[in-house]
Amino acid sequence: MAKLIVDDLHLSYGSNQILKGITATFAQGEIVALLGRSGSGKTTLLRSIAGLEEPSQGVISIGNTPIFDAAAGLNVPSEKRGLGLVFQSYALWPHKTVFENVAYGLRLRNVPKAEIGQRVAAVLDGVGLGHLGDRYPHQMSGGQQQRVALARALVYNPPVILLDEPLSNLDAKLREEARIWIRALIKRMNLTAVFVTHDQVEAMAIADRIILLDGGRIVQAGTPEQLYTEPVSLFASEFMGTNNMMKSRVQDKRGGYARIELAGFPLWGKDRGGKAVSEEATGVIRLEQVAVADGPGSGDGDNRIPVELETSVYLGSQWEHVFRCGDQTLRAFGRPLAAGTHWLHLPPEQLWVF
Amino acid sequence: MNRATRIAVIVAMAIAVLAPIGLVVYQSFLDGPFFQPKTAFTWSAYEFVLDDEDFFDALYNSCIIAFGMTAIAVPVGAMLAFLMARTDLPGRRWIEPVILVPMFVSSVVLAFGFVVSLGPAGFVTLWFKGVFGFVPWNLYGKPMLIVIAGLTHVPHVFLYTSSALRSLGSDVEEAARMTGAGPLRTALTVSLPMVMPNILYAAVLVFFLGFELFGLPLVLGDPEGILVLATYLYKLTNKLGTPSYQLMAVVVVAIICIALPLVAMQRYLLRAANRYVSVKGKAAAQKPVTIGFWRWPAAALITAWLLFTVVVPLSGLILRAFVSSWGEGVNILDVLTLDHFRELMGFPNLVRGIVNTVLIASVGGALSVGVYTVLNLAAHRWPSGWTRLMDYLVLLPRAMPGLVAGLAIFWVFLFTPFLAPLRQTMIAIWVAYTLVWLAYGMRLVSGALLQIGPELEEAGRIVGASPGRVARDLTIPLIKVGLIASWLLIFVTFMREYSTGVYLLAPGTEVIGSLLVSLWGSGAVDLVTALSTVNIAMIGCGLLLMSLFGKRSHG
Repeated sequence: MAKLIVDDLHLSYGSNQILKGITATFAQGEIVALLGRSGSGKTTLLRSIAGLEEPSQGVISIGNTPIFDAAAGLNVPSEKRGLGLVFQSYALWPHKTVFENVAYGLRLRNVPKAEIGQRVAAVLDGVGLGHLGDRYPHQMSGGQQQRVALARALVYNPPVILLDEPLSNLDAKLREEARIWIRALIKRMNLTAVFVTHDQVEAMAIADRIILLDGGRIVQAGTPEQLYTEPVSLFASEFMGTNNMMKSRVQDKRGGYARIELAGFPLWGKDRGGKAVSEEATGVIRLEQVAVADGPGSGDGDNRIPVELETSVYLGSQWEHVFRCGDQTLRAFGRPLAAGTHWLHLPPEQLWVF
Repeated sequence: MNRATRIAVIVAMAIAVLAPIGLVVYQSFLDGPFFQPKTAFTWSAYEFVLDDEDFFDALYNSCIIAFGMTAIAVPVGAMLAFLMARTDLPGRRWIEPVILVPMFVSSVVLAFGFVVSLGPAGFVTLWFKGVFGFVPWNLYGKPMLIVIAGLTHVPHVFLYTSSALRSLGSDVEEAARMTGAGPLRTALTVSLPMVMPNILYAAVLVFFLGFELFGLPLVLGDPEGILVLATYLYKLTNKLGTPSYQLMAVVVVAIICIALPLVAMQRYLLRAANRYVSVKGKAAAQKPVTIGFWRWPAAALITAWLLFTVVVPLSGLILRAFVSSWGEGVNILDVLTLDHFRELMGFPNLVRGIVNTVLIASVGGALSVGVYTVLNLAAHRWPSGWTRLMDYLVLLPRAMPGLVAGLAIFWVFLFTPFLAPLRQTMIAIWVAYTLVWLAYGMRLVSGALLQIGPELEEAGRIVGASPGRVARDLTIPLIKVGLIASWLLIFVTFMREYSTGVYLLAPGTEVIGSLLVSLWGSGAVDLVTALSTVNIAMIGCGLLLMSLFGKRSHG
């Protein structure tokens, strides 16, 4: 069942169009990531759902109730929407203790005092801060503050919880832990969550579904696997994962595959861009799909090319090699290699031609 | 606040600002006081004033004094700011708070201080005469007036320049040093040019204050018949025997017409200045410039300035309040007395004045900060035509010197039937003070409001608080410290205010400032010095509170 529906949302600041028609549905119990670069409109979309921005066109509904409808002149103010929002900066009120920060939403809903105590204690326990209710925000670490912000947004059981770059203020180590426990917490409470991020790894780790935005439009929406393995455009393929990009021209097309050239060597790849023969095209292949082969292949369609090892970088778990092939650079992971010429294998089903 | 409340607040403010000005303009076109039943529209008042040589004399004097004091205050203030903010001058920490003293002492009090110290029979004059046998200065001339006005307005320039210099990251200076510029060259080619917009702003401000000057020319210019615009207005009351409202209104219109462009210019310059300073990155860990031998002449210069503008007038004034008489050959120990203060207590109106001043500064000041807060909240995070209108409205009272605003408010209370009974109460004084310091107070409060990030308030809305609850539960508690600091500043400001109450002075509305002006006219020097000393002591208490509070809220 759709919990949150956004229909044809437009928003602009003056002549600057931020959202150019966003349509999306969010199912009950689903975690959705709004992924995009800065300026893609992802935060504006989130703030529009929260009621902090006013779109010029479109409808937003929760359940079956519209909370925003530009045509009908309906714009339910933020405080009446009953949503939860975790701010990027956490926005904890510095003059209130942790307990008071979390309890404020319940006080506004006239919950009896005894019940407030129980519910705040329960939600603070849920985020692992049960013993820190008396502290002030500035007495806590960044990770703890983030948990308080989450507790504050969860305590009044909002139908949808919104998170604006929730992990961006944490250091790298903490961030990896937070990904896992945030997802576990949201899933345990069976909440519908929408979160904004510019980090594709974070999006894939937390979300059930990713909506990729660019320039105020949705580029692609789907499961993390779909976005990673079946990008619909060059932008989508570039955004997810680390890639080798090869500029070339389409030489030939056959059975859903297209042939491009790299320094004179033919390479077959899946034809995803639908470019015609002799049009300019870009070949894309994920770094981890490039393999070092033991020698030249047996013929056309084998996709093996000779390359010169330029340098190698030790990453700890493996090496990253940088090869040169004509004027192009190719990167691949692997075991240590000796200097000189090597053969690389680029499997045709993993190479996409846009 | 919802939209309707916001608009209501802004409309109320517009009425409070526009009514006095509108009444003045209306009065300026009448041939008699507005409350007389038979008045007609006429240009006659304008013709009279524009025909009056004294008016043009006053205008000319105001120009000369404003130019002269700007030419003195800006270089001295800028140099002082550089020495204090950027160099390793000895004793900087001790000197700094003293520099601002002339800003906090009312300028009539300072002027009295100059008279009792440097006047023809002043302490310093007689001492100098006794040692050297002659006196090289004449306190009551235009040159001395310009010098005193210039030197007492150094703190304004200092304040704006030094805060800009402090927010300047030392990285830009270090970059200049790395490329090979010496300390002096760095100051002249990097630091000072970067704060030029702020210096320019301060210059326009001082020039503007020069036009508003009232206390100094009243005390120091009058004996020689030197009139400026404000004193011309003050004297006009008696020019034709009867109070000539229409003439006063014309002068007020003239003053506002000169002040308004200057105020608009200040606003523009301040924006330019802020833009310039805010683009520069980190201001962390500034290293003072070593100036070596030059610190001794620099320290001597600062000491001389402090001696002249702070120590000489204030010590003279306080001393004079404790001696029964003074003249050549008098031994100070023989004449020490507390009689003046006892005498002071004998006048019920003076005692009332002291009590009223304490009340207007404390309770009135708190109420004013409340008003400024409500006004600020009405415009808070609401980009609309209404708030832009408010931005401009705030500037209007700024263009009215205290004397003028007091007069206009007096008329409003006279004119409006339901306000008339309040005319001779402290409420009239409070309205006038709040209006005169509107722009200043609004800036103090908005400075506090700017410190809180929008997301703190958005978070309140999201968890379910209405805009009113957000203001009550979040915004106001968050700016509490800023509001208390604003109240302390307004407290001192109201304490020293003297010109606004002049026209409102009546039994029941006495405040120290306006009493001083009227007492000075009657020549009661003993009482004037005693009352001034009381005023200085009260301001001192206010400043002490301020520094204690500052220490607590930062510690």
